[in-house]
Amino acid sequence: MTPHPVRLSGVSKTFGAHTAVSGFDLKIPEGSVYGLLGPNGSGKTTTIRMIMDILMPDQGAVELFGRRPDFHGRSRVGYLPEERGVYERMKVLDQLVFLGQIRGVAKDVARKRAGEWLDRLDLAEWASKKVRELSKGMQQKVQFIGTVLHDPELLILDEPFSGLDPINQDVLESIVREQSALGATVLFSTHLMEQAERLCERVCLISRSKKVLDGDLKDLKRRERSGTIALEFDDDPSGRGGSERSGEMEREIGSWRGVAGVARAGDAWHLSLDDGAAARSVLAAAVESGAELRRFELLEPTLHEIFVRHAGSAAAGNEMEGGLR
Amino acid sequence: MKQVWVILVREYLEKVKTKGFWIATLALPVLMLGLMGVSAFLGVRSQQAEAERPLVVLDRTGALGEAVVDRIGNAGYASELLEADPGIEEMDRRVTDEEIDSYLVLDERTVSQGAFAYRAMDSPSRVRSALLTAVVGEVALENRLAEAEDAENLRALMRGGSMEYEAVGGKVAEVARVAAKAQGMVGAILLYMCMAIYGAFVLRSVMEEKRTRIVDVVISSVRPWQLMLGKILGVGSMGLTQLATWMVCVGTIGTLGIPFLSRVAPAANMDLISEFVPSAGSLLLLAAFFLLGYFLFSSLFAAVGAMCSREEEAAQAQVPVIALLGIPFVLQMSTAGGASFAWMDWAALFPFFSPILMYPRAVDGSVPVWMVAASIVLMAAAVFAMAWLSGRIYRVGILMQGKRPNLRELYRWVREA
Repeated sequence: MTPHPVRLSGVSKTFGAHTAVSGFDLKIPEGSVYGLLGPNGSGKTTTIRMIMDILMPDQGAVELFGRRPDFHGRSRVGYLPEERGVYERMKVLDQLVFLGQIRGVAKDVARKRAGEWLDRLDLAEWASKKVRELSKGMQQKVQFIGTVLHDPELLILDEPFSGLDPINQDVLESIVREQSALGATVLFSTHLMEQAERLCERVCLISRSKKVLDGDLKDLKRRERSGTIALEFDDDPSGRGGSERSGEMEREIGSWRGVAGVARAGDAWHLSLDDGAAARSVLAAAVESGAELRRFELLEPTLHEIFVRHAGSAAAGNEMEGGLR
Repeated sequence: MKQVWVILVREYLEKVKTKGFWIATLALPVLMLGLMGVSAFLGVRSQQAEAERPLVVLDRTGALGEAVVDRIGNAGYASELLEADPGIEEMDRRVTDEEIDSYLVLDERTVSQGAFAYRAMDSPSRVRSALLTAVVGEVALENRLAEAEDAENLRALMRGGSMEYEAVGGKVAEVARVAAKAQGMVGAILLYMCMAIYGAFVLRSVMEEKRTRIVDVVISSVRPWQLMLGKILGVGSMGLTQLATWMVCVGTIGTLGIPFLSRVAPAANMDLISEFVPSAGSLLLLAAFFLLGYFLFSSLFAAVGAMCSREEEAAQAQVPVIALLGIPFVLQMSTAGGASFAWMDWAALFPFFSPILMYPRAVDGSVPVWMVAASIVLMAAAVFAMAWLSGRIYRVGILMQGKRPNLRELYRWVREA
């Protein structure tokens, strides 16, 4: 297997006057859980459809397992499209067996695996019901089973979590983790930054058909660390009224060496530091102050903040809107 | 091939496992059987009702009575000749007292012009009056003819003469010719219906996969041509199941119905009926034309389905295909009166027209064998050509969303696919 099951270089795609994807480079390392993040309409689905050879790029090259995405490559992929397609008049189990069979899983093996998956996703009693009798969320779970039934090396999931309730989102997340632990590479797209933060090892942020940044999520966060420190005190009086005491406290913290600014954030104080100031000296000052220190944390930016920083708030506003849906 | 098989089976089961399919399939023979049963039942009932009490014949001529009673008996009705004449008033009393239902009065006028009286409280059924008029008229006529010299010839003349068709270049029995024409016509109608209906099934099935986007998933595991072929074969198998069911029904109705028919209507000519039962050869030919025609048209329908995203678009886009089916059908129906033109025989060589135009011509022998053979070869070639063309349109169209392509875009699809 190639070290990068999916590789895009300089890929562009336009539809008429609309540029969906522009000059896109992407390398997805084997075994990683990779998140493709961006607001609605930023080109995620187009990118995925090009990887699956449903669309042809206008420019650039798409490689799947080191080759043009041909039939053999695609058959090693478990693909969950954004638009959920099911044979509505088929029974749930029959549909899963069919999906397994066309991917070369023997009929009885497919039946056995489908049964296990249905058990696991709490759908066993629906096995002999017609798919159209199921709710949207249940149909989505059925489709997800169809995606993993043939033990694919690469999972490509386009917005896999949208439309699921939180409990089922958790179930799906745990399955994605498990598939990854079993050695599968996972690529999924989402506009929900929190989800990506929980699940991904690597991310690629897209905005307005262009890549904003990509890389290892931990590295990214370390790199994007802003130097903000969060402090919480057990005996912090400012929480219970006493705006006078609160002001006193703010002034005291502000006087510590290296602290450039202080702001209240809920129960915590957010401290920004002078350039070159060490967090260690702030910690020492906090301990010295005699207050009961409960929390001291070097704050890392959320993906959302990183995204805003790089793509601008307009794009991020779009993301929020999408995220709240 | 495994993939094609899996898709075929899915398509077939999805169609055949529905109640709708079996209702539609069984409705036809049930309807047919029902109609036959009802009419036979009604016929038998009215016959029985009328046959319950013998028809009384009061013969005042002394010459016709016996013959009339004989012939009514031959037609399956009971009748009784009165020995003595009790007089009209006494007879009418018997009717009003319901001792008898009705009686006939034969008198001098019957001998001279075949007129007779039917006396009853209810008017006779149409069948009964026609039968009695015919019987009495015949007997009266024969009574008169017996006095003439060449009675047989006169009788033939009286029936209105007859025409004998003599085919030049080999004597073909008239009945066989009519039967062959009828078979050809029925075959053409059947072919038209099958290709149109099953073609529409393929179209709908393709569109549904495209609309629900399940095709995105399926196509990542099978090749487009496999999906198309599996679908066409699946719907075709459904069609064959339906045709086979009908065949079994017709066969059953036939084997049970013909003895019944011969009992109810002993006069029916069994030889004549057997002429209309298609031979194995013509059935085989029908099967060949059906298969080739179905493949030809269903691949076109599949391409149309792949081009369109919405029903309305499909309704428009399939017009050319429907025309290719409809034109030969209209042409063929226009020959039902007997007139066909030589150019139609040549038009029948056009692969899209062949099933509907060539099959009837092949069955009634109005075109030479080489033309039939040529049309089959041409159709087979067209099937491959269309499979290639449709396959390319299908491959691009099936994953395309949005508006229907125009002809130029279609050409590009075919070239680039």
